[in-house]
Amino acid sequence: MSNNFGSRKPAEWLTLALAIVIILLGLPMVIMGAQLAMLGGSDYYVICGIVVVAAGVLILMSRLLGAFLYLAALAGTWLWAFYEVGVDPVGLLPRVFGPTILGILVVCAIPVLRRMEARRTTVGGAI
Amino acid sequence: MRRSYLFATVASLTLACTPLLAHAQFAKPDEPTAAVPGPGNAHEPTAETPVEKGFFAPPSPFAPQKAGVNAANLPDNPAIDPAEVPQMAPQESADPARGDWVAYGRDDHQTRYSPLDQITPENASQLKQAFVYHTGSYPRAGQANKWAAETTPIKVGDGLYMCSAMNDMMKLDPTNGHEIWRYNAGVKYHSIPYTAACKGVVYYTSSTIPEGQPCHHRILESTLDMRLIAVDADTGKACSTFGFNGQINLMQGMGESVPGFVSMTTPPPIVNGVIVVNHEVLDGQRRWAPSGVIRGYDAESGKFVWAWDVNNPDNHNQPEPGKHYSRGTPNSWAAMTGDNALGLVYVPTGNSASDYYSALRSPAENAVSSAVVAIDVKTGSPRWVFQTVHKDVWDYDIGSQATLMDMPGPNGDTVPALIMPTKRGQTFVLDRRTGKPILPVEERPAPSPGMVAGDPRSPTQPWSVGMPELRVPDLKESDMWGMSPIDQLFCRLKFRRANYVGEFTPPSIDKPWIEYPGYNGGSDWGSMSYDPKSGILIANWNVTPMYDQLVDRKKADKLGLLPVDSPNFNPKGGGAEGNGAMSETPYGIVVTPFWDQYTGMMCNKPPYGMITAIDMKHGQKVLWQHPLGTARANGPWGLPTFLPWTIGTPNNGGSVVTGGGLVFIAAATDNQIRAIDEHTGKVVWSAVLPGGGQANPMTYEANGRQYVAIMAGGHHFMMTPVSDQLVVYALPEKKG
Repeated sequence: MSNNFGSRKPAEWLTLALAIVIILLGLPMVIMGAQLAMLGGSDYYVICGIVVVAAGVLILMSRLLGAFLYLAALAGTWLWAFYEVGVDPVGLLPRVFGPTILGILVVCAIPVLRRMEARRTTVGGAI
Repeated sequence: MRRSYLFATVASLTLACTPLLAHAQFAKPDEPTAAVPGPGNAHEPTAETPVEKGFFAPPSPFAPQKAGVNAANLPDNPAIDPAEVPQMAPQESADPARGDWVAYGRDDHQTRYSPLDQITPENASQLKQAFVYHTGSYPRAGQANKWAAETTPIKVGDGLYMCSAMNDMMKLDPTNGHEIWRYNAGVKYHSIPYTAACKGVVYYTSSTIPEGQPCHHRILESTLDMRLIAVDADTGKACSTFGFNGQINLMQGMGESVPGFVSMTTPPPIVNGVIVVNHEVLDGQRRWAPSGVIRGYDAESGKFVWAWDVNNPDNHNQPEPGKHYSRGTPNSWAAMTGDNALGLVYVPTGNSASDYYSALRSPAENAVSSAVVAIDVKTGSPRWVFQTVHKDVWDYDIGSQATLMDMPGPNGDTVPALIMPTKRGQTFVLDRRTGKPILPVEERPAPSPGMVAGDPRSPTQPWSVGMPELRVPDLKESDMWGMSPIDQLFCRLKFRRANYVGEFTPPSIDKPWIEYPGYNGGSDWGSMSYDPKSGILIANWNVTPMYDQLVDRKKADKLGLLPVDSPNFNPKGGGAEGNGAMSETPYGIVVTPFWDQYTGMMCNKPPYGMITAIDMKHGQKVLWQHPLGTARANGPWGLPTFLPWTIGTPNNGGSVVTGGGLVFIAAATDNQIRAIDEHTGKVVWSAVLPGGGQANPMTYEANGRQYVAIMAGGHHFMMTPVSDQLVVYALPEKKG
C-alpha cells in the first residue's frame, strides 16, 4: 500500500483533499443539524450532513460511489432549497452556491476516482 | 491532463470564495457585545436569594454633586415667572427665505423640505464636490472612537452655521466653506457619553436686543457636558446678556452624576420665547440614574422658567439647593419640535432608566415613557400624551423628531397634524391639538404577562394600522442567512435556541430572546422628510434584529457590567447600546446584534436597510420602496466587498426632499450619498464620502447656486470611518 500512496499523482492528492474538505463541512451539519432537529427546526441539515459525510468517507476510500452520493445530496439540496425559498436568488445563495461549487469539483474528480478505483481493484487483487 | 485538473481546482476554489465576499454585515465579532451567555448562565432570584435590604429603593433626595459635573463651574441660575418671558420676535424659521435652511429640519415644521429646484433628476448626475470643511473634531491618539458627529448645518442669510462633534460652533461662508468665526466650547473628552455628536445649532432673533447690536441674532447650542451656550451670529462672541457670559449650567438640580452620564446632542427648540432642553441619560446604567427632566429657559436671558419632572409633576420649580429632580425618570434624547401657534413643544420620550426591567417604574413614568408628550411652554405641564409602546422593555425609545404637516379633516377642513416615526416602524399621525390619532390606531394583544416574575408586560400594544409598516414580517427559521449552509445552520440554531413569538417577545432570563424590530429601528434619529407640495413622505429604516438576555446580578458582576459612575467602570465593557449593569435592579442586560458573531454577518437575510416613499395625500399608499445601500463597504469579517449589489445596509441619518423632485440621503453604511427621484425611487446620482454619512443632509442656495451639504462624520457604532469633513456638492458653475 505504501508504494501505492507513494505513486499518487497530484490530481489524486487533490481528490483526497477534497474528500477531507467534504467530511469537514459535513460534520458540523450533522452535529448542529441534529441539535436543530431536536429543537424542532429543519431536519434537512442532519440528513444531508450524514449523506455528505458518507460521501466524503467513500471518496477518501477512492470509491466512485462517494462522488455520486455527494451529487445526489446536492440534487436533494437544490430541491429542498426551492421548496424552502422558491426561486429567490438571495435565499438560494447560502443554500446552494457553496455546495454546487463543491459539486463541480466532485464532478472533476470523477475520472480520477475511476482511475483510482480501477487501480485499487487490480492492485488489491494482486495482494 | 494533470495541469488542467489543477487549473480547474484553482479556478473553482477561487469561485467558491466569492460568496464569502457577497454578504453584508455591520459590526465586528470582537466587540464586548458579541454573544449572549445562553442557557444555564443565569437564574431568576428566588425568595432565598440574598438581597440587601432597601437595595432597590430610590436614593435619598439629598445626593450631592461632585466637582467637575458642572462643566464650566457656572453659578446657580435664577428663575423667572413664565409670565415674565418676553414676547418672542418673529423668527426666520417660521417662514425661511427660499434659499435658506434655518432650523435642524429647515423650518418650524421640521419638514426637511426645501423648495430649491436648480438640481433636478435630469441634471443631478453632473453634481460635483464644491468644497469640504474640516471641523477638527475626531478621535486623537489614545482616545477610544466614540465619534459620530451626526451634524446638520443650518444656513441663514450669508452664513452656514454648524457645530463640531465636540460642540465647537462655527460660521462658514456658504459659497466656499471658509471659516468666518469659530467658538471654542472647551468640551472635554471625558464628557463624551456613548457618542460625541452635535446634531445642530439654533438660530434665534432677539426681541430685547435691537437690530445692529451684538446678539440680536444668536446661535445657540446645547452641549455634551450639559451647558446651553448662546453666541452672536455675526461674530461668534458669547452673549453677555444670556446666562453667565453666554452660558448656563444644565446640571443644576440633576444631583449626583459623573461626566458623560447625561448629555445633550440635539438642537433645542425655542417656542414663544422659551428654549426647551432635553438630554440623554446613558442607557442601562442604574435604576436611579439622573432625572430625565425637561426644562424651559427664557431664550433672551437664559433664566429658568419651568421644569417638567415626571415623578414630581406639580412642582415646576428648580429643586432647592442640595436636592434634585426625581431620578430614573424617562429621558428624551431625540430632537424636539416646537409649535408656536399652539404654544406646545412635542417631546419624543424614551424609557425610564434601566430599559429592560420595568417593575420599579412608577405609574407616572409608565404613562409617559416611549410617547409623544405635548408640553405647554407657558406652564411646563403636559397638555396631552400619546404612547407608542406600553411599559417598554425593548429600548423602543423614540429617536425621531416629529414632523408637522396639514392633514385633510373629515369635513373638508384642515387638521394640524404631527407625524411621529418610531423604532417599531409604526408611524403615528396625530392631531397636534389633542394628541388623538388622525389615522386609525388599534390596541392589539401582545405577549403577556412575560417571563420575569413580578414584571408583567402590557396585554396590548398600539398599532398604527392606517400607515404602511416600516418593517418586514416576523422572522422565521427559514429567514436565516449566511455565506454557506454551515453559518446559515448556526443562525438557525441561534433562532431556535431563543425565545421568539414575534414583536414584543418579552425579555427572558433562562435563554436569549430575539427582538425585532431592533433598537436601531425601524426609524431612528434621521426622522422623515415631507414634501408638502407633492404630499410625499420619505422614510428610511432598518431591519436589524437584536439577540438579548437578562442576566442575574451574579452573572452581571462576572461579566464586569458596571454603571458609568462606578469607580471601577471600564469604558470598553458597556455603553448605552450594548450590555448594561442596570444596577439597583435584580438583572443586568446583555444586548447583541442577531448575528453570527464569528463572521460578523447578520443572521437574518437582507435587506438590512430600506427607503420608502408614502403618498400622504392619496390614502397613505407606498409609492416606491427599495433597499438602501450597497455591499461595497461591507462584508464578512468587516472586509469591504466592493460589490455594487444594493443589498440594503443598516442606516442612520435622514433625508432631504426638494422642489426639484429629488431626495438626498446618505445614512447607509456604504459611505455614499445619493440623489433619488422623489416620484420613481430611481437613484440618479451617488458619490463616495470620505467618512460614513450618518447625518441628515441639507440643501441651500448662495449666489444663485444650489448646494447640498452632508457631514461625513462616520459613526462608531455603525462601524463606518470617522472623518471631520463636511462635504458640499453643487452643479458645475455656468460659464460666462
